[in-house]
Amino acid sequence: MGAIRTRNRGRERALRWLAYAVAALALLWTLFPIYWIGINSFKLDLDIFAVPPVWFDFSPTLKHYYAAFVERPFLIYAMNSMIIAVLTTLVSLVFGTMAGYALARFQYPGRWRYNISFWILSTRMMPPIVTIIPLFIFFGTVNLLNTKTAVVIAYTAFNLPFVIWMMKSYFQDLPVELEEAAIVDGDTRWGAFLHVALPLARPGLAATAIFCLILSWNEFLLALILTQTEQSVTLPIGIAGRVTQYTTYWGEISAAGFLASIPIVIFAFIVQRHLVRGLSLGAIKG
Amino acid sequence: MPVGVGLGSPGERWRERHLRVLMLAPALTILGALTLFPTLYMFTASVQRVSADPGVPRAFVGLDNFIRMASDSQFHVGLLNTIIFTACAVTVEFLLGLGLALLFDRFIRHFNFLKTVLMIPMMLPPIAVAITWKLIYQPQFGVLNELMYRLGLPLRAWAGDVHLAMFTIILADIWEWTPFVFLLMLAGLASLPVEPYEAAEIDGASAWQQFWDLTLPFLKPVIAIALLLRAMDAMRLFDLVFILTGGGPANSTIVLSLYIFQVAFRFVDIGYAAAISLFVLAVTTVLSTWFIKRMKLAD
Repeated sequence: MGAIRTRNRGRERALRWLAYAVAALALLWTLFPIYWIGINSFKLDLDIFAVPPVWFDFSPTLKHYYAAFVERPFLIYAMNSMIIAVLTTLVSLVFGTMAGYALARFQYPGRWRYNISFWILSTRMMPPIVTIIPLFIFFGTVNLLNTKTAVVIAYTAFNLPFVIWMMKSYFQDLPVELEEAAIVDGDTRWGAFLHVALPLARPGLAATAIFCLILSWNEFLLALILTQTEQSVTLPIGIAGRVTQYTTYWGEISAAGFLASIPIVIFAFIVQRHLVRGLSLGAIKG
Repeated sequence: MPVGVGLGSPGERWRERHLRVLMLAPALTILGALTLFPTLYMFTASVQRVSADPGVPRAFVGLDNFIRMASDSQFHVGLLNTIIFTACAVTVEFLLGLGLALLFDRFIRHFNFLKTVLMIPMMLPPIAVAITWKLIYQPQFGVLNELMYRLGLPLRAWAGDVHLAMFTIILADIWEWTPFVFLLMLAGLASLPVEPYEAAEIDGASAWQQFWDLTLPFLKPVIAIALLLRAMDAMRLFDLVFILTGGGPANSTIVLSLYIFQVAFRFVDIGYAAAISLFVLAVTTVLSTWFIKRMKLAD
């Protein structure tokens, strides 16, 4: 008996060290590409193109940041991305929260609650390439191509199902008694939503808002089709535009790509507790 | 719940009575307009020839666009590539994600900071992921070829090599999306009940038996969610291919969404693009319907 236990303990310890080694490897695998793009954005062209690669030892420069954000219009692209992300988040949050609340709290005849929820979810699963062609033609006929309005409208459609679903599940987790008490005290149904349910759902609202911001900030395909002029392009499309058939402007795109990633990493740490709920319905990618 | 008893103004009473509809209406109107209209448009365009010149009227062509799909080798390559990519990427991501989650659950609990760091790749802008890997794969000064050189292996063109281009996309996707599976599995493992394991321990079940007879069956719903979401996502792969290879070399990495994009915006053949889109829509609808029903998401 004693012998077996010692052997097990030995194996347990070996496994534990194996686990640490694997975790270290996973960390290296995860962080190296991020380190590499980051470090390259601070290198002179000479060091970017060096063979063998320059791993640590180089004289850092902000030249590429200057080239991208001062000489080239990456600042405008970043502003476009930011404005679009904020507007999309506001619109989808206002309408999505109301709908989510209505689905979580009200009575429906027959299977209507299920049918509506089902339909909302199925729109979320539609591949964007399917809807974008008609939207492109539609926005073309109403002269909205290359405007932030068109992008915000398209993004709202892709964010709404997600917001509705998130907020519905948050409201369902809240005790209904508090709202009932407010109504007994003379508040209206709408007032109970506004003054009782909404403040209680604030953590959920914040997490959902951050997911919406990430989703819009990262989105690629729709923006690629809907924005083509220098003035309307979003940051991801601006970066893609510097990867041309003939040259790739490595310094510039590394600088812009690295800078575009920083807010996302901060957001990742803010929403880490909500990640599982959010990700179960594609919080990250359209 | 009593609704709107003895309330103030008529307007307020009206609002209370129709609150359910009023709160749903804006969201459902936007969603309806932006999904039903495009779908209808795609259905009509799929049986028409749509000219690039808006002045030319559309011609009804019946099922021609769908018949063309049967003999279009480009479409077949795109379909096959999409299937290969989805199968390879999702399988590896699943195995890695599950394995890593099992290790973390057993040995490395309470390291939330570390876990969040491992989540970063999937949160990053896909464009940043794509250019990062493009830089790593770069044949002249990329670090992958440096690694090959140090290991004494032959240098490769990677994304520029017909036989390796698909592999480079799969590898980048694995980097980006394994964290997703890892996170879902970790959450699944954290919610497992303790008692069955205690009973199994008393019965003398080995760790391996416990994994097969307890952990896997308990995890089945989470595994299904992870696999289906990843598969649906992999089928719409676009950005990585667009930046890393552009579908090349020699169409070796063309996937369905990129092909639809090319047909619609480069060859401006909206009718045919619509037909292929409907095919993709049909496949995803079957999968997503099954998914929503099975996971009881809408209940």
